[in-house]
Amino acid sequence: MANKMKLPSMIRDIASSIFKKPFTREYPAVRVEVPEGFRGRHILDPEKCISCGLCERDCPSKAIELVEVSGKRMPMFYLDRCIFCYQCAESCPRDAIRLSTVFELSTTDKEGLLVKPEEFIPQQPVTTKE
Amino acid sequence: MAMFEEAVSILKDNLGNDVLECKTPKPRRAYILVKLGCHRDAISLLLKQYEQTGISTITGTDLGSEIELNYHMRCGGAVTIKNRVPKEKPRIKTITDLLPGAAFYEREVFDLLGVMFEGHPNLKRLLLPDNWPKGAYPLRKDWKPQDVKSGVSDSEKNSETNGGELKEATSIVNVVVGPQHPALHEPERFSFKVDGEVVVDVEPRLGYVHRGIEKAAEHLMFFQDVHLVERVCGICNAAHTTCFSQAVEDIGGIDVPPRALYLRTIVHELNRIHSHLLLLGVAGLLLGYEALFQHVWRDREPIMDLIEMITGNRLMTAFNTIGGVRRDLDPNAAGKIKKTLEEVKKRANFYKVVFKEDPTLRLRTEGVGVLSKSDALKLCVAGPVARGSGIDMDVRKDDAYAAYEEIPFNVISYKECDSWARLMVRAEEVLESIDIVIYALEHLPSGRFRVRVPRRQPEGEAVGRVEAPRGELIHYVKSDGTAYPYRVKIRSPTLANIISFPTMIRGGYVADIPAVLGSLDPCFSCTDRMVFLDTQNDRRWYWSLEEIKPKKAK
Repeated sequence: MANKMKLPSMIRDIASSIFKKPFTREYPAVRVEVPEGFRGRHILDPEKCISCGLCERDCPSKAIELVEVSGKRMPMFYLDRCIFCYQCAESCPRDAIRLSTVFELSTTDKEGLLVKPEEFIPQQPVTTKE
Repeated sequence: MAMFEEAVSILKDNLGNDVLECKTPKPRRAYILVKLGCHRDAISLLLKQYEQTGISTITGTDLGSEIELNYHMRCGGAVTIKNRVPKEKPRIKTITDLLPGAAFYEREVFDLLGVMFEGHPNLKRLLLPDNWPKGAYPLRKDWKPQDVKSGVSDSEKNSETNGGELKEATSIVNVVVGPQHPALHEPERFSFKVDGEVVVDVEPRLGYVHRGIEKAAEHLMFFQDVHLVERVCGICNAAHTTCFSQAVEDIGGIDVPPRALYLRTIVHELNRIHSHLLLLGVAGLLLGYEALFQHVWRDREPIMDLIEMITGNRLMTAFNTIGGVRRDLDPNAAGKIKKTLEEVKKRANFYKVVFKEDPTLRLRTEGVGVLSKSDALKLCVAGPVARGSGIDMDVRKDDAYAAYEEIPFNVISYKECDSWARLMVRAEEVLESIDIVIYALEHLPSGRFRVRVPRRQPEGEAVGRVEAPRGELIHYVKSDGTAYPYRVKIRSPTLANIISFPTMIRGGYVADIPAVLGSLDPCFSCTDRMVFLDTQNDRRWYWSLEEIKPKKAK
């Protein structure tokens, strides 16, 4: 069998790849563009939120907790539990929760995995850095 | 389909008064309640009449004072034969003598609901750990998680964990492969009995990634469960959500708009393309052909980007929901998808040639892990494994769902019955799937992509079936009229296929193990809501070395 074989087509393919640039992207040196509509970190619009708690009730992974911020109950997101399905955004009757394309969520402390309503209120000091 | 109606009327005519109730709520779905013990007659009737009849799974449901056993048969559609056993004394006759492929399903029900199957050759735990307390059956409604904490002990370890005994064996050695990553990077343990280089027998043990998803699903609302079942398996997530949504839509009588059906089909097929390419690459890696692995995976990446563009995430699509899909397709995206797919198609054609002609691949896979057509039918395997054994079986054709009724495509099947055939089926299916996506994009109907559905679903039950990348996937959903399902049962294709592994590998070389296991495309995350073990212990069956040498190309 072996003596009759022609040059396998894979060999040619491999040979032609040797001098090509690596296919992998050079992240983080080169930024990665994610498509519009990517489900990343949450954005909360505190103005629109009516404290109804639907997001908290509908979240399949119980990643949302309503917390009181300047006299109003608003959702806080636990990113460690979040499965990024965006059921909350869909359930919200006022479109107060929007998605962003921020996907770099790794942090060194647990605090960094919280999306608190405070950070969307301009007057308050911002606790979580992007 | 005529075959289905015929099958139902045969059952009704022949069983007569033994049929207590017969419902056919929609085409290709029948639910037949028979007298206790008559399930064997019903199943033998179907088997006698139709060669390709097989069992999809057995669902056990706790109804309070009774346990309902649903035998989901595939026979031109899904014929569900129901039987009810009293909960105090749950005993029923096995069907493994009629259909050996039911062995795991019976063990699963035994493990999780405590139903005794009389006459089962090897009724052992399948999914739960060996030290799980006796008499604790997690899928019964009166079971509480607290019951387990006190009952678990290390002392009750099963002797099977240590490899079992080898009575008559002289030169037979036990080789344990796994639980760390025996094939794909997922845990499962295989205990091989090896005589020199020849595998005499194998006992697989599942359950390392058992997460209790079926139980968890009872505590989430229907629409939340879509996100839960999506996580049964990352790779074929679109298949799981499609299947679950279809079952719930059947219960609620929800009409899904045609545009949603087409969009579902597109994502489902993209899912299949990337799953098949993933496996073809891994097969290369398992066979020691690392370059092939890297090249295939490189060419799979554009598909992942497409999925990300359409759904918002490259893997977890979260695209399907009950009543349609969650986002519409951007009109500008169609052009880009088509362009990318044309590129991928060129590469897929190339890989088809590689798998067909490459001498390394052929030497490693041809004539290796043979599963004859009759064995495949007996063991009720599904998907590419069945199609590699010459069985023309595809849920997309036999029980068309989503938009498959309107989309032309071919069912690929090979008659070689070996690992090579199973890989070739996948290589060719990639091409078919690309054509399906392009056709669906060109014929995408306009209109709504979703209908709003109430959270509460009416009382009822339904079987959802789809052709997942690895074969027939079946979800059984029962609703009691609330917003929460009463019972969700998932049977993933790997569970149907892994039962054939001992048959395939017996008599093969140790070095063939990865080639055969790889050709099954096992997905243990899907499978594990269970554990299993060889069903026929006839270790005395050997093949001569001459017989197992790769067959010469004709």
